[in-house]
Parts: sequence; C-alpha cells; structure tokens
Amino acid sequence: MSEDRFKLHPVAAVVDFVKGLKELILPFLIIFFANGFNVTFNPGDGSFWASIVPLGIFVLVIIVRLINGVLKWWTYVYWFEEKELRVEYGLLVKKKRYIPFDRIQSLNYKEGIFHRIFGLVQVMVETAGSTNGKPEVILTAITKEAADQIELVTRKSKEEEYENELQSETGNSVEKAQAPSSRVIHKMNKKDLLVLATTSSSMGVVIAGVAAALSQFAEFIPFEWLFEEFSDFIKFGFVIVAFAVFVSFLFTWVIAVIITFINYYDFTVIEENERLTITRGLLEKKRVTIPLNRIQAIKIVENPVRQMFGFAAVAVESASGGFGGEEKKITLFPLIKKSRLFKPLHELLPELEWQQALTKPPKKAKPFFYRIDFVWLLPVIALCSYIWFPYGLFSLLIIVPIILLGLWQFKTTGYAISGNQLTLCYRIFSRVTFVVEKKRIQALESRQTFFQKRREIASVEVTVMSGFTGATAKALNLETRDIEEMMSWLEKNDHLK
Amino acid sequence: MRKQLNYQIPRKGLTVWRLYGLFNTLVVSVLMGVACFLTYYFEWPSFIVYIAIALVLIVGLASIWLFPNIRWDHWRYEVREHEIEIQYGLFIVKRTLIPMVRVQHVDTSQGPILKKYDLANISISTAATTHIIPMLVTNDADSLRSRISTLARVAEDDV
Repeated sequence: MSEDRFKLHPVAAVVDFVKGLKELILPFLIIFFANGFNVTFNPGDGSFWASIVPLGIFVLVIIVRLINGVLKWWTYVYWFEEKELRVEYGLLVKKKRYIPFDRIQSLNYKEGIFHRIFGLVQVMVETAGSTNGKPEVILTAITKEAADQIELVTRKSKEEEYENELQSETGNSVEKAQAPSSRVIHKMNKKDLLVLATTSSSMGVVIAGVAAALSQFAEFIPFEWLFEEFSDFIKFGFVIVAFAVFVSFLFTWVIAVIITFINYYDFTVIEENERLTITRGLLEKKRVTIPLNRIQAIKIVENPVRQMFGFAAVAVESASGGFGGEEKKITLFPLIKKSRLFKPLHELLPELEWQQALTKPPKKAKPFFYRIDFVWLLPVIALCSYIWFPYGLFSLLIIVPIILLGLWQFKTTGYAISGNQLTLCYRIFSRVTFVVEKKRIQALESRQTFFQKRREIASVEVTVMSGFTGATAKALNLETRDIEEMMSWLEKNDHLK
Repeated sequence: MRKQLNYQIPRKGLTVWRLYGLFNTLVVSVLMGVACFLTYYFEWPSFIVYIAIALVLIVGLASIWLFPNIRWDHWRYEVREHEIEIQYGLFIVKRTLIPMVRVQHVDTSQGPILKKYDLANISISTAATTHIIPMLVTNDADSLRSRISTLARVAEDDV
C-alpha cells in the first residue's frame, strides 16, 4: 500500500476563506445597517472611532480567517495506510483522524463554482457514526482524479476482504467479482423541472420572499404617489389590475424556475453495487451516495396541486447522511408521474410492495378529524366576533374549510400490513405514503384519548431512524382493533412459529 | 382487546409526583403573590387578586392531586423477552412497543428527591427514540436495567 501523502488543492484555502466570509456577511450587515453606513475616515469627526473600530475588527477577523484557511490547507494531508484513510491537519494543535475503509459508508461529492473552474470536487466521507449530520472527514478541494483514487482504493480493499472471506469459507479461489453494474433509475428532463418549479411549495416561499423584499424597501417606495397613480389605475379598469397581478405571478414563477434549475438541474439517480448515487445541481454540483441497506423508510409525498395532476415526490429516510447534513431526508425523485413511480421503486427495492388495498378508518372516526380543531378555533372565532362585531362573525366561515380538510384527511388515512412491511397513509395538507419494513421500526406507539376510547378508535405513530432525531409517521383515528393487530404484528411471537 | 400490561409504578412514585406538584404550586404561588403585591401597590383592579387565588387553587388541585392520580393510574409497563411495552399519558393514553433488537442502551438515573425515596428512573434508548420508565424502586430499576441489556444483547435480528 502506498504511503504517499496527498495535499489538498490550493483552492481549498480560498473555499474555506469564502465559506468563512459567508458566515460574516450577516453580522457585518447588521452592524453597518445599525450604523446607517456612517463610515467616516476623518479623525476629526466625532464618530470616527465609533465607525472605525467595528470596521477594524472586521478587517482583523477577515485576515485571521484568511490565515486560517491557508494554514489549514498548508498542514492538511491525507493518505492511505493499513486499510485506513488517515487525515492530519493543524499547526499548533495537530488533529488526526483515521477511518478504516470498511467503516466508510459513503463518499459524497460537492462542486461549488470555484471547484468547477479548476475541475475539483469536495469530498465528504461519511461513516455510520456520523448521524449528527456532520461528515466524518471533509476534503475541501481535491482533483477529480484524486477523488476517483480514494473511491478506487477503498473499494479495492473492501473487495479484497470480501474475497478473502469467501476463500476462507469455501477453501478455493473465487472468480473476480463482476464489474460494478450501474443503471440509471431516474433522470429528470427540463420539462419535469418546469413542472417541479411550478408545483413546488417554494412558489409560496418565493412569494413571501418577494413580499419581504418589497417591505424592506417600503420606505423608498413613494406610496402617496403610487396611490394617486393607483386611483388612475382603477379608472383604467379591472383588466390592468389583473394584468399587474399576472405579471407579478409570472415574475415569481420565473424566480421559482431559476431556483429549481440551479438546485435540480441534471438530477440523476444511479444504482450501482447496492448503492444509490444521486447527482444534481447547475452551478453547484452535488453527489450523494447511500448504501441501499441504510435506507430506513420510503416516503411518497403528493402535495394537493401535484396530486391533482397525478404527480408525486419520493424521499428516502436514510440512517446516514444527506448533502453534508443540512438535509436529513434525501429526495429520490423530486417529481415523477405517479403511474410511472412504481416500476423504478420496485427495481430498487424488490422486497417491498407498493400498491396495496389500505384499511381505512371506520365511519364513526370521521368527526375526530376536525373536532379537535374546534378547541383552538372556537376561542379564536369568539374573540374575532367580539372585537370586530358584526363583521367578525364572518370568521364562522372558517369552520367550513376546516371540516372539509378534516374529511379529506379522513378519506386519505389508511394502513396496510403485508409480510414484513407496514404502509401508513396520511395527510396534513400533502398526502404522504410511508412505507417501512418491520426490521427498521424503532418504536410503535398507539395514542388514545378518553373520547377515542369510548368510540373504540386510536391513532398510531411509527418511528424510524433518520439523521439524528428519527422520523415519524402517524395515522390518526383507526379502529382500535386494527391498531392492536399492528402491535402484535411487530411483536415476535415465538409460540406461533 | 389487548391485555392490560402487568407492572405498575410503585405507590411511592405517586408520592414523589405529588411532591413535584407541590413544588410547582409553590412556584406559581410565589408568582401570584408578586402579582397580588403589585396589584395592591399600584392599585390595580381587585379582580386580579381573585384570579390569582383561583389560579393557585386550580394549579394546586391539578398538579398535586388530580394529574398525579391519573398519570399513576395510566402508567403500566412490561419487559418481555422480545419487546418492551409501556403505557403512559395524562389525557392521551399512549402505548409504546419497542422491539428488543432495537434497544441500544439502558440508563438509570436518580436525583436527590428520588434518592431519598429510594427510587430511580430507567431510560431506554433506541437509535431514534428514548423512552423513560420513571419511579422504580432502585433495586428493581437496577435489575431491570441489567435484564434489558442482557435481553437486548441476546435478541437476534432475524426479520
């Protein structure tokens, strides 16, 4: 095994530095907004020190960051030794981290703009232990060849071990493991991206963002002048108002499309050697790898708009990882026609079933889906009616959509058990189908209020491991009998075997 | 109907819960005392005093008498060979089933009050969740802890 020590690419220093700068932007802005940009370099001025001291501190911090970045790059080495990936860095305090190859769960790649220019990647090494969302080792910038080399070395050693095991078991040599077969499970084209952008909830976020941005500049907008204009506007008639609304929606939509393209451009899912590899991104390319056996549960999410057009999104709850920790849930298919959904899922996880008849909650459970909302709703309505009498009475109308939503939730809810698989279906706003295997369930909990007990219904909540805290799925107000059946399904019944 | 779980929290646990409730009530009464004083000092309307007194009474009644009773009544647990099942809750009765294979570690903990009453809490951790069985007699808690950890080690993942 070679013991060459490798260094990061010098760009690593720049990347670290820029990342540090990003963190500084916010405090910088806050301080200078608070100061009102009254920076003066005239020592005679009374506010000279008040403005120069924060500026000086910032310059100092930036210089320290720069030195830090350079030092980290200067001292950072990694190498392979005794089937371990070894990393060392630090000038005064030396940090060393050794990771055995067979503990490495996945190598995730990320390419920022700087990386793209120089043909580099950022490699994040994840182990089973890195459930707190942080990768064990981050190689900030190395060439693609170096990244391939890491992958090659780790894989080769794993295969060697595997072969040794086989040899010791069977006593004769086995032919070399087949070349890794990789197949594309899912790929998004530009049309899909457009639909994704249009139906995503980020539309709402963008609208909120535009509104927030507008409100920020509110003082610069000449409202009085606008209102005068607006009264003329009204004279022009309804059409122009509608047109203005339409234009602002179009604007919002374009922003949503741009964001979606930047994030999801060239979204590809590849299955290779029992591992899933997901690549995406336009400016910043990201690549995440999940070993198939780390997948804990599958979640099919249909938001109301998408459900109307027969689209769904699929996410996996994975025990490790995600893109460097900020996303614990990994999106497998951001958008897919529901009719075309089951084939790739079946290919990927052949032991799971996808289309089953669900056991529904009983009719008597119907009121339970909206009754609980009245607890907070009635005081709100009473308050509104009291304060803004008589117009506040219109708040009574809220009850209608709440009941309708409740009925919709009732209609969606259901569960199915088949073999070792539990499927829960529920809705808050989006319809969620949660599929989990028995061996992945960490805990199953039934909940029953006094009122539910009287009508013999109960709710159920299942927890699986995902990231640091775990993920849960709930099905509300099922028949108590059904939930008890679910419980005994999870129990291990020796006497029945 | 699923059968009722076998074990309950010892009677002493109820006493400790009442004690906690008493502390709660004391904190609330101090706050309300301050409110009454302020009302007197600034000559605010006198109904504030009545509300404060009512609040102390309600909190006292609920947290010293009612809630501990209900909670104690609902608390049940059972540790079987392949799973742990606990039942708890105040208004919502929750019943949790934890397969033994999923148990990662078991801790017991004991604060000064629990120590005085010779009680301890057990917390059972899986990869995603933590479950607590409170107020067990220290000896029982210790033996239960070692029993769970033995069972968890023996349990095989065969599903």
